[in-house]
Amino acid sequence: MSSATASTARTVPFSPGRLGIVAGNTFLEAVRQKLFNFLLLLAVALVASAQLFREFNFGSSELKFISDFGFGAMVFFGSTLTIAATAQLFFSEIENRTALTILAKPIWRTEFIFGKFLGVFAVVGVFCALTTLLLLALLYHRETALMTANPDAFENGRMIHYGDLVLMGVLQWLKFGVLAAITLLIASFSNTNLYTVVMGFFVLVICHLQYLARDAYGAVASLPLRLLVQLLGYVFPNFQVFNLADQIGIGEGIDSGIFLRVAGYALIYIAVIGGLAVYSFRNREI
Amino acid sequence: MTHPNPVPAIEITGLTKDFSLNLRGIKLRAVENLTLNIPEGQVFGLLGPNGSGKSTTIKIILGLLEPTVGECKVFGVSSVRVDSRLNVGYLPEAPYFYRYLSGSELVRFYGRICGVPRKRLDERVREVIDWVGLSAAAHRRVGTYSKGMLQRIGLAQALVHDPRLIILDEPTAGVDPVGSAEISELILKLKNQGKTVLITSHLLAQIEDICDRVAILDRGKLILEGAVNELVSMQNRQSLIVDSLPPAELEELRGWLAARGHALTAVEQPRTRLDQLFLSKVSRPQKGGEVK
Ligand SMILES: Nc1ncnc2c1ncn2[C@@H]1O[C@H](COP(=O)(O)OP(=O)(O)O)[C@@H](O)[C@H]1O
Ligand SMILES: [Mg+2]
Repeated sequence: MSSATASTARTVPFSPGRLGIVAGNTFLEAVRQKLFNFLLLLAVALVASAQLFREFNFGSSELKFISDFGFGAMVFFGSTLTIAATAQLFFSEIENRTALTILAKPIWRTEFIFGKFLGVFAVVGVFCALTTLLLLALLYHRETALMTANPDAFENGRMIHYGDLVLMGVLQWLKFGVLAAITLLIASFSNTNLYTVVMGFFVLVICHLQYLARDAYGAVASLPLRLLVQLLGYVFPNFQVFNLADQIGIGEGIDSGIFLRVAGYALIYIAVIGGLAVYSFRNREI
Repeated sequence: MTHPNPVPAIEITGLTKDFSLNLRGIKLRAVENLTLNIPEGQVFGLLGPNGSGKSTTIKIILGLLEPTVGECKVFGVSSVRVDSRLNVGYLPEAPYFYRYLSGSELVRFYGRICGVPRKRLDERVREVIDWVGLSAAAHRRVGTYSKGMLQRIGLAQALVHDPRLIILDEPTAGVDPVGSAEISELILKLKNQGKTVLITSHLLAQIEDICDRVAILDRGKLILEGAVNELVSMQNRQSLIVDSLPPAELEELRGWLAARGHALTAVEQPRTRLDQLFLSKVSRPQKGGEVK
C-alpha cells in the first residue's frame, strides 16, 4: 500500500463491484418500470409490416426491404429508448432524492455515473439483442418460404448473411452506448428531464447528419465555416460510420477489420464522454 | 461524562455556504461562519426555523455540497473525501426511496453499497428491519409505504452498516405523534449503544427530551448553543406540586413563605403536555401497518 496519512486508516478504493451494484439497480428499475413493454410495440410493428410487404409480393428483393426496414426501425426506436431511458433513469435519482442517500455513502461519483451508464447500456443491449433476433427470425422464415416458391433465384443457397446481421446489431448497440453517454453528459449539468431529452435528440441529429455538412461545406465554403464544420466533426461522433453496408446483410460481407475499428471508435467516445460526464457531475450540487 | 475518543465526531470550522441564484452572480448565503463541535456519543440537536440552513449544513457534513469558505471534518477526516463517509448513516429530509424495491431489497442494496460483507448481509438486513419495526412490511414495495414507514425504512438503511455517526434530517416531520414518539425511542436506543446522533428539527419541544446538546440556527447563523439542561432550566426557581390544597391552607402557606421573605409567584393546575395525553390515549398500531 502507498503511504497512508495518519487520520485515514481505511481509504476507499475505486470499486468495480459497487459500480456493478448501481448498474444492476438501474437495470432493475428499467425492468420494473416496464420500459421493456415498449419492445412489444416494436415487435408488433415489425411483424405487421413484414406481413404488409408480403401482400405486395416483391419476390427476392423483399428480403432486402425487410432487412432495411427492420434496421431502420431498430435505429429509430433504439435511439428514442436510449435517450428517454437515460434521462429518466438519471432524473428519477435526482427527483426522488435517492441520489442524496446513495452519494452520502462511501461511493465515488465516478462509480455512480458509470454505474448508471452500464445499467442503461444493458437495457439497450437487451433491446438490440431481442430486435436483432426477431429480425433474423422474420428473415429466415421469409427466405425459406421464398426458396420453396422460387428455387431458381436461390441456386447459390441462402442470400442473407445472418452473421453480418448480428454484427450490425452489435454496432447499433455500441452506437446507442455513445448516445447514452452523450445523454448522461447533458443530464449531468441540466436541471430537467425534458431539457435533457430535447438536447439529446438535437445532438443525435447532429451526429447523424454532420457528414452531410462536411460533404457539402468541406470544399466550397468560406474558411470560418469550413473550420466550424471540421470542429463539429471532431467534437461530435459521426454516427454514419456505424452503417457499414448499404444493403444490410445482403451482398458483400462485413470486413472484420473495419468492424473492430468502428467498435473501437465507439468505445473511445464512450470513455471520453463518460469521463466528461463524471467531471461535470462532480461539480453538481445535489 | 468522559469521552474515550478525543477526536470529535463532527468538527465544523468557520463554515460559510453561498448558493448562486443566477448567472449574474446574485448569491444567497445559506450558512454563515458556523463553528460547531459535536463530541462522540452525544445526541445533538440542530434546531431552527425552515430555511435556516440546517439541511445545507448536513449536506456539507456529508460531502454532498462543498463549503464556500471553511471546512468540515467527520471523525477527523475532511468531508470532501469519500472515506469520511465510512462511518456515517444518513436519513434525508422527507425521504423517498426506490419505489420499485421492497423494503428488504432496499436495505440490502444500501448494505451492499456500504460494503457489508455478503456473508452477513442477509442477517444484517433482517436485523435492522426488525429493529425499526418493519418486519411485517419488509416484502412490500416501498412505493406503498406510509410516511412513518418511509422514515423507519430510511432509518434502517442509514444503520445497515452499523455506523458510529447517524445524521437524521427532520426524522419526525409529517409523522403522527405515535410514530414520532417511536422514532424518539429508537434514537434513545442508539444513544445507549454509544452512537453519536445529529438530528435536526423545527419542532423544538419534540426533541428537547432526547438531545444532550442543541444548537439553534437562524438565517444561517448560530445564535445559541449549549447543554439542554442548562438552556431550559431556570436555576433560581422551584415548583412544588401538592395534592388538592384548600384555599385557607394556601393562604397559610403564602403567609409562611412571606414571613421568610419569599414570594409565591404563581399557583397553577399542573397540566400534562398535550402530546403525552395523546400518546397515553391512542392505541399504538401494529408495527409496519395492519396486515390483513
Ligand atoms: N440548491 C440550492 N440552491 C439555492 N438555494 C438553496 C439551495 N438549497 C438551499 N437553498 C436555500 O438555502 C437556505 C437554507 O436552506 P436549508 O438548509 O434547506 O434550510 P432548512 O433545512 O433549515 O430548512 C434556504 O433559504 C434555501 O432556500
Ligand atoms: Mg431542511
